[in-house]
Amino acid sequence: MTGRWRYLLYEAFIGLRRNLMMTVAVVLSVTVSLTLLGASLLLSTQVDLATDDWIGRVEVSIFLCDDRTCPAITSEQQETLRQDLEANDVVAEVFYESKRDAYIRFVELFSDQPTLVESITEDTLPASFRVRLENPALFNVIRDEFEAYPGVEEIVDQREVLNQFLRFTNVVRNGALAVAAIQLVAAGVLIANTIRVAAFARREQTAVMRLVGAGNWYIRLPFVLEGVIAGVLGAFVSWGLLYATVPRIAGNLARDIELLPFIGASHVFAVGGWLLLAGTGIAAVSSLLALRKFLDV
Amino acid sequence: MIRLQNVTKTYTRAGTLEVIALDDVSLDIVKGEFVFVVGPSGSGKSTFMKLLTREQIADNGEVWVAGKNLATLRAWKVPLLRREIGYVFQDFKLLGNKTVYENVAFALEVIGTGKREIDRRVPEMLELVGLSDKAHAQPHELSGGQQQRVSIARAFVNKPRILLCDEPTGNLDPATSVGIMKLLDRINRTGTTVVMATHDQQIVDSMRRRVIELAGGVIVRDQSRGVYGYGA
Repeated sequence: MTGRWRYLLYEAFIGLRRNLMMTVAVVLSVTVSLTLLGASLLLSTQVDLATDDWIGRVEVSIFLCDDRTCPAITSEQQETLRQDLEANDVVAEVFYESKRDAYIRFVELFSDQPTLVESITEDTLPASFRVRLENPALFNVIRDEFEAYPGVEEIVDQREVLNQFLRFTNVVRNGALAVAAIQLVAAGVLIANTIRVAAFARREQTAVMRLVGAGNWYIRLPFVLEGVIAGVLGAFVSWGLLYATVPRIAGNLARDIELLPFIGASHVFAVGGWLLLAGTGIAAVSSLLALRKFLDV
Repeated sequence: MIRLQNVTKTYTRAGTLEVIALDDVSLDIVKGEFVFVVGPSGSGKSTFMKLLTREQIADNGEVWVAGKNLATLRAWKVPLLRREIGYVFQDFKLLGNKTVYENVAFALEVIGTGKREIDRRVPEMLELVGLSDKAHAQPHELSGGQQQRVSIARAFVNKPRILLCDEPTGNLDPATSVGIMKLLDRINRTGTTVVMATHDQQIVDSMRRRVIELAGGVIVRDQSRGVYGYGA
């Protein structure tokens, strides 16, 4: 058995080396497609992470009047509003964000843009109630009920903001997936062609093998293995590329955008399994398809 | 050992034109026989040989080889059938990147024979064909006759019950051919059934073995201790 495997691997490596240019082309093509696939998977992970966090925090902001566009809210009105909010069935949680809290958050958020920070004072930003709902879809209920309250300036569905962000990331992710799929098909065709060339180059050997009674799989496996090794190599290279770049990019973003959680090395690591599976799968399938007619008994 | 019953095989060429390669052929070859299959090109010899190894499948009739009905033989069992058949080609089909020893050993390796068994059988086989001293030569360093001996060693190394030889002397001069025939005769004496397709009149005449003559896809003669043509 070990002798057999040594033979199979040896033959596969001979094939890869004999056709080095093709092997390089196959590995690169698999690398490109799997890198795109990995990137879109990671983007999905990122979106999930971000939206979980956002949705968990706040869904509705109720901004309070401060004499700029409407007469400032009185403390009684504010207390009534809070009590009514807390008593409401669809409301899960209510936080109060004072003008000062809002200012501090803004300063933190834009700490790297001093001119922007200088342009506002502690008094510029409105105070607000931040409300988390039992069911985020029930925004309309809140708006209809509290819009007319005295001292309420504006009610904003933060999910709408989120949805715009999600739409954007979805377009990017689906685009990357589509390109990855096309590239993966191209890689598959390239693998099939390479395997066919390899089988043709060794047709005398396979003809002899067939006539002395070598099993079908014994004849085919070196070729399939040749494709799979190239696929696995491509998967590892793309994994390495993602591992080297994505955590760094995410790290830079995390420094700039402190409110959001970002994916890290562990997420890239987790994607590796899928890349390996896709690389092996596409290589095995296209090799077998290439050999189906060529090496039949 | 080999039985054909009313076997017909046709090929479709150029779309519609049908060529009848074998037409209702029946024959029996028993264990240990030495049989020449003769006839002009296109008489059906090659088709006959290909049916026996199941490279081709008969359209009609039954082909039995080594106790197996080839029409109903599952595809995955075809390799097992071929392990009972040694095949010798006109053009030797040795692998140029392997030595003589490796070429013979290859036939055992690919059917999963253990290394110790290979190391025992290959020298034995090279001895039988008289090429012990050429074990580590490359095929291109050998004469045509020597290459055909290697090819026979490869075909016979796993002790098949049947040896099929397709024009084994076709590329060799008469003197060399005699040597090859002596070797095949020796293999036949071990109880191996030998079927040899040939054009070589001299050899057939000198061996005086069973001759099956094909013409236009039918058996026109089946003669024990025969000669190549009529009249002799």
